[in-house]
Amino acid sequence: MNLQTILIFIGLSYAYGQDRKITAKLNPGCNICSSNTTLLYVKCDGASDTIHQIWDFTRHLPTVIFAVTSLNSTLNVTWTDTLPKSIVLSEEPSYSFATAIDKLYEYDDLDDNGHIDPKFPQKAYKLDRIRWHLNESILSDKEAMIHVYGILNEERRGRPEIINIKLDLIPFKDYAADLPHLIHTANSTLVDVSLVNLTTSREYNASRYALHLLLISSDPAVETMHYTMRKSLDDEHTPGVFEIIEIKSPSLFDEGEGGYLQFRPVAYSEDARGVASSTVARVSAFSRTDLPRHSTLKLFYSDIDQADLLVQDMFVSFGETGDGYYKQHNYTAWSFTIGYGAPPVEGFSFFVIMIISIGLGVPIVLALSGITYVLLRRYRHNNSRTRFTNED
Amino acid sequence: MENPESSGIMGVTQEAPTSWCHPSNRVHRFIALILMCFLCFGSYFCYDTPGALADNFKDDSHLNTSQFALLYSIYSWPNVILCFIGGYLVDRYFGIRLGTIIYMTIVFVGAVVFALGVYINAYWLMILGRFIFGIGGESLQVAVNSYVVLWFNGKELNMVFGLQLSFSRFGSTVNFWVMEPIYRWVANYYGGYEKLGVALFIASMTCLGSLICGLILGWMDHRAERILGRQEEQAKAEPFHLIDVLHFKPVFWLVSVICVAYYLAIFPFIALGKLFFERKFDFIPQDANTVNSMVYLFSAALSPFFGILIDKTGRNVMWVILSIITTIGSHFLMAFTFVNPYVGVVSLGISYSLLASGLWPLVAMIVQENQLGTAFGICQAVQNLGLATVIILAGVIVDKYGYLMLEMFFLGCLFVSLIAAVLIYILDSANKGVLNLSPSMREALKKTTVRTEETANLLEHADSSDQDEADVGGGASPRDGASPRDSAQLQSDRIRSRYIAQLLPTTNIPDRP
Repeated sequence: MNLQTILIFIGLSYAYGQDRKITAKLNPGCNICSSNTTLLYVKCDGASDTIHQIWDFTRHLPTVIFAVTSLNSTLNVTWTDTLPKSIVLSEEPSYSFATAIDKLYEYDDLDDNGHIDPKFPQKAYKLDRIRWHLNESILSDKEAMIHVYGILNEERRGRPEIINIKLDLIPFKDYAADLPHLIHTANSTLVDVSLVNLTTSREYNASRYALHLLLISSDPAVETMHYTMRKSLDDEHTPGVFEIIEIKSPSLFDEGEGGYLQFRPVAYSEDARGVASSTVARVSAFSRTDLPRHSTLKLFYSDIDQADLLVQDMFVSFGETGDGYYKQHNYTAWSFTIGYGAPPVEGFSFFVIMIISIGLGVPIVLALSGITYVLLRRYRHNNSRTRFTNED
Repeated sequence: MENPESSGIMGVTQEAPTSWCHPSNRVHRFIALILMCFLCFGSYFCYDTPGALADNFKDDSHLNTSQFALLYSIYSWPNVILCFIGGYLVDRYFGIRLGTIIYMTIVFVGAVVFALGVYINAYWLMILGRFIFGIGGESLQVAVNSYVVLWFNGKELNMVFGLQLSFSRFGSTVNFWVMEPIYRWVANYYGGYEKLGVALFIASMTCLGSLICGLILGWMDHRAERILGRQEEQAKAEPFHLIDVLHFKPVFWLVSVICVAYYLAIFPFIALGKLFFERKFDFIPQDANTVNSMVYLFSAALSPFFGILIDKTGRNVMWVILSIITTIGSHFLMAFTFVNPYVGVVSLGISYSLLASGLWPLVAMIVQENQLGTAFGICQAVQNLGLATVIILAGVIVDKYGYLMLEMFFLGCLFVSLIAAVLIYILDSANKGVLNLSPSMREALKKTTVRTEETANLLEHADSSDQDEADVGGGASPRDGASPRDSAQLQSDRIRSRYIAQLLPTTNIPDRP
């Protein structure tokens, strides 16, 4: 009976897509691609559906696309030289969600509060010129990971200005190895972006950077993404940060299943991540926009009717009052996860539960046994004394 | 009390005892009392300046929590030793006046060096400053208590002790209230770590103020000595005998476990509390400081009432267990809920002062009177040692595992002290001890029981304090004669001045049965 319940439970959790089988292919179908071309295709087969993930850097904008189909569907990429010409799924996806970083903004934060505000001077650096190079990759059935870097400007003051991007997928639920230790699941991919050695504009005294993100979902274009911030009791994995921010697609918000971004409002101003180097990551409001021209997104969503595709953008800005702006450390790193389904919720660790049970259990056991002991002793004592007087 | 001959010889203008300038006049002594209250204000104020500016230490000086915690830890290190010899040095070598001024100067120098370290952003200098500050801080309290014993006696003494200590704690509270506005004001003129340094320089002025009070009081005391012909008694024997340790009962060691474990869940919490309130409960810095100050404020305000409560009801162990349980409740509330932290912190403050009122008299009940000095010294040393090591650990926990784990750690400490308290209760009832009896039962026991080895010294001790009260009630001054009773009283006051006051941040319970 019990075994049956357990089996049903395991079966159900499998059916709800807890774990998936992942197969990763770099530049599938391209025979002449080198490390200067990076398009990773990851097929994640679950119990009832398949998530196709495309991590693309070929058309300059770092892009992650999720497409959900039934099992046994395939994805095919055709190429012209080292550029993808078409990305075609064997069946129409039941749902799709995507994000891309299209611009980097430098802004003069005269209020010194880390918000990117239209009233202050700002410059947008489009990422559509950047060439991305593959630095390292792991492509196995246990993990799919790529680390790419793009050089923003080669020869300003001799140090290259670099944007690093790392994407990581594992087929089970776990906490990321690096701070802020976000949860990744088989349904979500960890994206870590760092801005290293960027040269700030001479005319700005208070330069900070912000990422401009595009959010795309196969929801009606009249809907909107939803920003939710919740607090967890548990900052065990991200010391000192209790908030979790989720950007939910309309279908997730309304029906409980859909695309999302999840992250902690924290960024790091040094390579050595820790409480002392942590700073704030802030999200702006959403606004509506269009798919960028010549992008992989445009290619992938070419067949979809404009009215059925929600395209919005937002800023994520970094820094907090009094931190000395970007130039203080010349470094900013930020992580988020992009996923499908329902965002994972963190729970108390085994250690926490153990301390509470030992801490509460021992005194109670001690008190009970102590009281029993004292009562017994007194009882015996009284008894023996009574006997003694009787004999007397 | 007065000694006209000696003042005549000294050639001091004789003032009538009715004049407010006369040292035995109420007004005059009231002025002395106010000065005494301010003596420790500066050191208590500056002790918690890092806590009140915790987020600024992170942002301006870029300290991580471990480095920040070391600022508190380093304060406790010298006191592991100094709590034994600080008072002894005053008695034997410095004298009260010089001793107070020396310790106060050390405190002031420490505060200034610390501020300088922050101003030039040199971490080692900050640590050095806090170390110097620690050398003076605790010993200063001993010296000030000696002043209190010298100027006040009998029933007055308890009240003055209580008042002086409450006022000192109030220094910490005020620190939490004003440092944030001061910092923001300074920020108009300075930037980066310099503004933090300047804010701390301003804070160190409270120590200068206390030093000035110390100088005035020193002058008043010097004058009083001449006018009253008072002689400062030399302590005859060093009241600390390490060999006594061997004779302490297991119950004493359990009490000292509570002394360490319980306080670990209070002081490090206050030190690291500001950022916790800001981050978990979204408080602005000023509000976070106000919440944090509530522990001190409530314990300062409630201690006298809890003192009376425990006097009337006895049953100290039950009160101790109760206050540990409510403390656990408060920490639970802050760890596992988002309930407004005022609730948790206020109940923490109440529990903390209830515990202090219940716990410390236990030491006096367990240990023989002539070993009291050693007993309190040990309690204080282990407490300082505990704080010194654990605050560092607490900082590392915050950096690596976050505030939830820190709360778990505090809960762990409280569970240890709860176990110790339950063990005390069991040991005591198994041996038919007196620790948990009501006052009337203690009285009855004293009259009827054949004195066993277990309770003899305790009841003797109870006898003697009753007699103390009688003496005081009779209006006799303990300082005008050389009767053995008086010298015993004096010795007891001395011990009290050296240890009890430090242990009880705000309670005024001396050696009560």
